[in-house]
Amino acid sequence: MFTRRTIGLAFAALAATTLAAPAQTTQALTQESVIEKIKEEGVIRIGLSLFTPWSMRDINGELIGFELDVGRALAEDMGVDVEFVPTAWDGIIPALVSGNFDVIISGMSITPARNLTVNFTEPYAFSGVTILANTAMTEGFTLEDYNSPDVTFAARRGATPANVIATLFPEATLLLFDEDGASTQEVLNGNAHATMASDPTPSTEARRYPDTLSVPFDQTFLATGESFALRKGDPDALNFFNNWIGIKTRSGWLQARNDYWFKGDAWADQVSQ
Amino acid sequence: MPFIKRLRWPDYVIAAVLAAFFGTIIFTIEGKLNYDWRWHLVPDYILRYREDRQEWFANLLLQGLIATVRISLYASVLALILGTILGIARTAENLTVRMLARTYLELLRNIPPVVIVFIFFFFLSQQLIDALNLNRWSRDIARSENAAVWEFFFGDMRRFPSLVSGVIVLALFESAFVGEIVRAGIQSIPKGQREAARSIGMGRFQEMRYIVLPQAMKKVVPPMANQFITLIKDSSIISLISVQELTYKTVELVASTRLIFEAWITTAAFYFVICFSLSMLFRRFEAPR
Repeated sequence: MFTRRTIGLAFAALAATTLAAPAQTTQALTQESVIEKIKEEGVIRIGLSLFTPWSMRDINGELIGFELDVGRALAEDMGVDVEFVPTAWDGIIPALVSGNFDVIISGMSITPARNLTVNFTEPYAFSGVTILANTAMTEGFTLEDYNSPDVTFAARRGATPANVIATLFPEATLLLFDEDGASTQEVLNGNAHATMASDPTPSTEARRYPDTLSVPFDQTFLATGESFALRKGDPDALNFFNNWIGIKTRSGWLQARNDYWFKGDAWADQVSQ
Repeated sequence: MPFIKRLRWPDYVIAAVLAAFFGTIIFTIEGKLNYDWRWHLVPDYILRYREDRQEWFANLLLQGLIATVRISLYASVLALILGTILGIARTAENLTVRMLARTYLELLRNIPPVVIVFIFFFFLSQQLIDALNLNRWSRDIARSENAAVWEFFFGDMRRFPSLVSGVIVLALFESAFVGEIVRAGIQSIPKGQREAARSIGMGRFQEMRYIVLPQAMKKVVPPMANQFITLIKDSSIISLISVQELTYKTVELVASTRLIFEAWITTAAFYFVICFSLSMLFRRFEAPR
């Protein structure tokens, strides 16, 4: 009698475990999602690297820029605080993977190589980049002339302009630097023919050095799109961010903020450019 | 001035050659470097008056300088503790202890600091921070009311975990050098003294505590002071892991304003002033009285 009851109980327990297992798996996935962690801690931590005009320090040393608007709106919609973690660009993906912050919102363009390490959302921006050239060195150049081994481009390593240059001008030599200022300086010093950057930086630079720099082409070259990057294996967060970007795109909010930071320079007096 | 009178003609020749050399370099730079100097913007990034709040505040560069001073102080205290333990372990009688200390020291001395910083940061520090739940702890302080006291000592509490990683990694690799200095100090104490300590019935610990260490530590003050200055300079390495110290803030300033040369020259001047005045101060202490 005792034995039979024990066996019965054991059987019931086994059945319960087996049946409950799939349900627990889904719940575990939800529990582990970064979205749950953000809600629980009441703060979203966003990793970014300074990159004019995506994000920069204003004259008071505070962070401003397109990413900051996006990050603050995102946090507001989630009902949590926002914490921006300025991070060196070189280590930003390892820092995300090791858990220093929850998501990268730093104008990061989607590349297959990066996508093997992190997940990307739908693009939230399509930054157009333009050529900023050394006027004397590129006199009479057509767009095709830039695609030659004799032409040197300078750009920030791993950033959108570097990818665009590599795609558009595969023949040209590409010098890579850790930040934007250095690539512009190379063009100024005549060590590189041109660099590419998101508007309005090229026009600002050309205005500051009218004798040396110019923006030779009116057109912008559309990049592949910039996305939030998040850790792999988190479908809930990917779904949330994708839908947030979808809503903000359809409502026109993202475009409006994009225009404010990239098309005009109404913010220029906040930064000593 | 007696100094001028002591100069002979070869001194004037050397001075003239140097002046010509640097003059040429500056002239060449001015010719080649196409750069629009904007020095007038720099003072605002050190100290700025905020119209909206009616107060002076430390802007990026000064914030960075303060952070560097903080980090260097904490890291050197930690490095001194770790290094003393390491130095004692290096002279221990137990072979295993000696070998372990030697391994640690050789590892840290023969790997470039940058590599140590990356390995530590990406593999160890996050685990440590998560295990101690430092993120939440420091955020709670940042949100609480007495945040000001904590911020005086540690800066922005939201960045506290990264400060901790920076201090620990800096202390780890400086402790290897401090350890060597301490070992040299301990070994410079004549054997006779240690034997005398034993003969009057002191244990191994007492011998260290009362006889060897007080004398050894006094002897190693000059190289230790040098090591402290080296640590301040090395602290710029941890900008790579985004610790918000002087070098990192300068990178941010350059990225935001394109004041490439002005910002870096100012930062170099900051480091120089700190390190040089410290070395002058230490020299004063060391001077025979």
